[in-house]
Amino acid sequence: MKRLALTTALATLGMISPALAETLKVGVATAQTGGLATYDAPVIEGVHIAVDEINEAGGIGGNMPIELLEKDVRSDAAQTAIAVQELVDEGVSVLVLPCDADPSLAAMGIVSGAMIPAISTCASSPTLPMVGGEYMFANFPGDNVQATVSAEWAWEQGMKTGYILYSPDTQYTTLPLYFAEVFDALGGEMLGQDTYSIGQQDFSAIVTRIASLDPQPDVIMTAAYEPDFPSFLNALRAAGVTSQVIGSDGIDSPTTFSLGAPAEGLVFTTAGYAAEGSPLAEFNAKYEDVTGAPSQTVFNAVGYDLVKVIEAATEAAGSTDPQAIRDALANLEGVQGATSVITYKGTDGMPVREVSMIRVKEGERELVGQPSPTAELIPAPRMQ
Amino acid sequence: MLTASPRNMAIALAAAAAFVIVAALVASGLGAASERVLSVFFISLIAVVGIGIYSGNSGVLSFGHLSFMAVGAYVSALLTLPAAMKAATLPKLPAWLAATELGLFPAILVAIVVTCAFALVVGLAVGRLDGSAATIATLGLLIITHGVIIGWRDVTRGSGTFFGVPRETSLWVAAGWCIAALVVARLYRDSVSGLRLRASRENAIAAGAVGVDMKRERLISWILSAAVMAVSGALIAHFLGAFSPKKFYFVDTFQLLAMLIVGGMTTVTGAVTGAVTITVVTEVLRRFESGFDIGAFTVPQVFGTTQIGIALIILFAMFRKAEGLAGLKEWEERVFTRRGAEKTAATLPAVSDRSALTAEHMTMRFGGLTAVNDVSVTLRPGEIVGLIGPNGSGKTTLLNMLSGVLEPTEGTSRLGETKLDGLPTHRIAELGIARTFQNIRLFPSLTVEQNVLVAGLSTGSGEDARARAEAALARLGVAGHADKDAGTFSYGDQRRIEIARALACQPKLLFLDEPAAGMNREETDALMETLRGLTRELGIGILLVDHDLKLINSLCDRILVLNEGRLIASGAPAEIRRDPAVIEAYLGTSQTQDDPAEPGHQPTEENDP
Repeated sequence: MKRLALTTALATLGMISPALAETLKVGVATAQTGGLATYDAPVIEGVHIAVDEINEAGGIGGNMPIELLEKDVRSDAAQTAIAVQELVDEGVSVLVLPCDADPSLAAMGIVSGAMIPAISTCASSPTLPMVGGEYMFANFPGDNVQATVSAEWAWEQGMKTGYILYSPDTQYTTLPLYFAEVFDALGGEMLGQDTYSIGQQDFSAIVTRIASLDPQPDVIMTAAYEPDFPSFLNALRAAGVTSQVIGSDGIDSPTTFSLGAPAEGLVFTTAGYAAEGSPLAEFNAKYEDVTGAPSQTVFNAVGYDLVKVIEAATEAAGSTDPQAIRDALANLEGVQGATSVITYKGTDGMPVREVSMIRVKEGERELVGQPSPTAELIPAPRMQ
Repeated sequence: MLTASPRNMAIALAAAAAFVIVAALVASGLGAASERVLSVFFISLIAVVGIGIYSGNSGVLSFGHLSFMAVGAYVSALLTLPAAMKAATLPKLPAWLAATELGLFPAILVAIVVTCAFALVVGLAVGRLDGSAATIATLGLLIITHGVIIGWRDVTRGSGTFFGVPRETSLWVAAGWCIAALVVARLYRDSVSGLRLRASRENAIAAGAVGVDMKRERLISWILSAAVMAVSGALIAHFLGAFSPKKFYFVDTFQLLAMLIVGGMTTVTGAVTGAVTITVVTEVLRRFESGFDIGAFTVPQVFGTTQIGIALIILFAMFRKAEGLAGLKEWEERVFTRRGAEKTAATLPAVSDRSALTAEHMTMRFGGLTAVNDVSVTLRPGEIVGLIGPNGSGKTTLLNMLSGVLEPTEGTSRLGETKLDGLPTHRIAELGIARTFQNIRLFPSLTVEQNVLVAGLSTGSGEDARARAEAALARLGVAGHADKDAGTFSYGDQRRIEIARALACQPKLLFLDEPAAGMNREETDALMETLRGLTRELGIGILLVDHDLKLINSLCDRILVLNEGRLIASGAPAEIRRDPAVIEAYLGTSQTQDDPAEPGHQPTEENDP
């Protein structure tokens, strides 16, 4: 820290050439251990790949290298607040926060006070920037964005009636409520909705209710994931319901592709699809090059996206001033990341990103499309 | 009322406050990040001390205390959350709660009251259990509370983040409450209730026998510790400003328990030591884990170093310091040894109530075995009655029934007109029956003085407890040992201390189970004199079990002989010596004056009821 202070001091005195003087200090307070490490660790791998790539080329704009100051917050909210305070004290220009709302929000008091932009690695709740305030940004397709994409797709496919299954247990599993809102706005008719508890597994009552509907709904949407989703889908198909089922990124796992006949034709939304020649495929190749192993999760690429966003914002701001970077970040448009083109302009901190729609076909992954949602249709985040 | 010396207590409390204040001053000089580290440390320390109030003093490890922290956090946060925020995020709150907007201090007070009420209800249930069953019940409490908070969405936002809580826990707020928690914990430990609870931790049966109502003391400490946990929960809620139920679950439970166990569960010194050790190690290691340079070497970034370091400390503590780094004593108990033995003028009052113990048809069956079969006895104040019989004849079982340790299968007993049937041991002690145990049951890590004092405090409404304790120690000639731990003495001394402890209960009747075992002839003779004095001078009645027939014959007014659970003879020593049934059953065929059982012989089959 002393060395850094000295560097800064020398730089301000003009003893180092100004072109090389400026370094963008990025404070990374993420969960490298504990429950959240499953998400944060792969994101930070992607962050390192992107930072090395940029620094090898001389830095942002060719002359502003990125320096990462990393701290492990051990998946704990209090530790996040402490680590963020330390990073703020070290004079970082941008902060990277964990994938979960708890620690991110616990740190936001400090972040807002210091007026430094902070980006959560992969939290998808659209309320996060709302609650976190103007310095809080997300880096993952919001639940409401995913829901808009699937509702628009269903409507375009000619589906007129829908049914949703959601769980109030977590914010994420209430995603179908956004779907219903968009589907309704498009002119579709919701035939009903059901709730379940996470881990419930027995869906016979709900399935009976759906099977007895006449006419049957054209589309059934849920954000349930393992173990609930496979149980629900099997029960649904066993009861003879043939409606189109749409899921969300929670079921982007090998289990879904091994379900056999019940999963055939299933469609779900997720963060990216590595089509040949796509930026994601390119990133995956680079990842394998650097680490020697193929990328196991799309969260690696999401980390790469994160740095690309910081790079673009800093370039647009033209300085390392946190306030300037925040303002530039909030107005970013069309940043090319690994998984998607990313836009923050016109949102309140939740990025507009392409969402990939995947269909399960004979146990394989088939790309349905990567539509960008119509901005006016995206529902406002729900606090409840 | 305090059981420790006021001077020591004043030193301990002042030192605790000074420690907190100095730490806070240093941290506030070092900057915002240090202030936050120390605030979290203070909040954790409050929780560690809170768990210690219950687990340390009762010896029952609790996994459930973070539920009280959660209740404190949610209750206080619901009260301080701005009304506009409540309207936006919790629209289904009842109107009176939605409109309430309190400051942090009154919110903490309300949180304490609500948490204590919750703890009372839970404590009545958990308090019925013992040992590992109680520990598992606390684990259940943690899981149930967690589930209820997640399920009660209209009030708690379910598993989602409860945000918007004003961040009002500054370093000095945390420091102030931390001092309060340390003072409460320290005062409780040396309060009458705390001493009784620690006695029951050391030996539950003996504590009951000297009048300690263990369930009541456990409930008191459970509620007090819940109050302290509520403070910790409220403070962390207002430190973070955003939290969810998982903040009060397994991960944090184990982190706080690790601090308590590493430091030493039984003392406040231990709680502080553990919290300081783990915090310091964490803070040091976490600065290294981001990678650093030593000369030409670059040590790479290795996250997880902190957890490995803490795990190693716990292992070290378990192997080398199983009782924790601070051991079993508060620091000032080691540094400032108390006054030596004093000549005491206090004497024990003579027994005024002459009512006798009458037991009829006492029978005890363990499964198919009848240990005691239809035995009737009476014991009057002022007489010494010997109870003899071969090993396994039911002597200890009979004593256990008469003192309430065992509930007889059949039979009834009363003291004067008061029925003793079904009364717990501490009530029987209160009525004036005190006892010692065949396998000595002292409170080994309490001092001799505390051993005896707890008996005085738990009987006769605690009146003149200290005088009674001093007189009892003096009478048994162990007053010089007062300041040392009871567990450190020789067998004979321990027996005398145990008798002194029974005597401090100011009993009408005293049951002594092999009091002379382990004593040499001179010690036994001295003990005989002491016992005679108790009956002649104080009018206490003694029921004496021993294998030393010389002792029995020369001391007892009457002798009862048990064989295979039956009373086969009773009468004056001379009659018993001539009784053919006794000779056949107990003494064998050759009649001798000598003891057929070896002196100091320890019958194993009677060790436990």
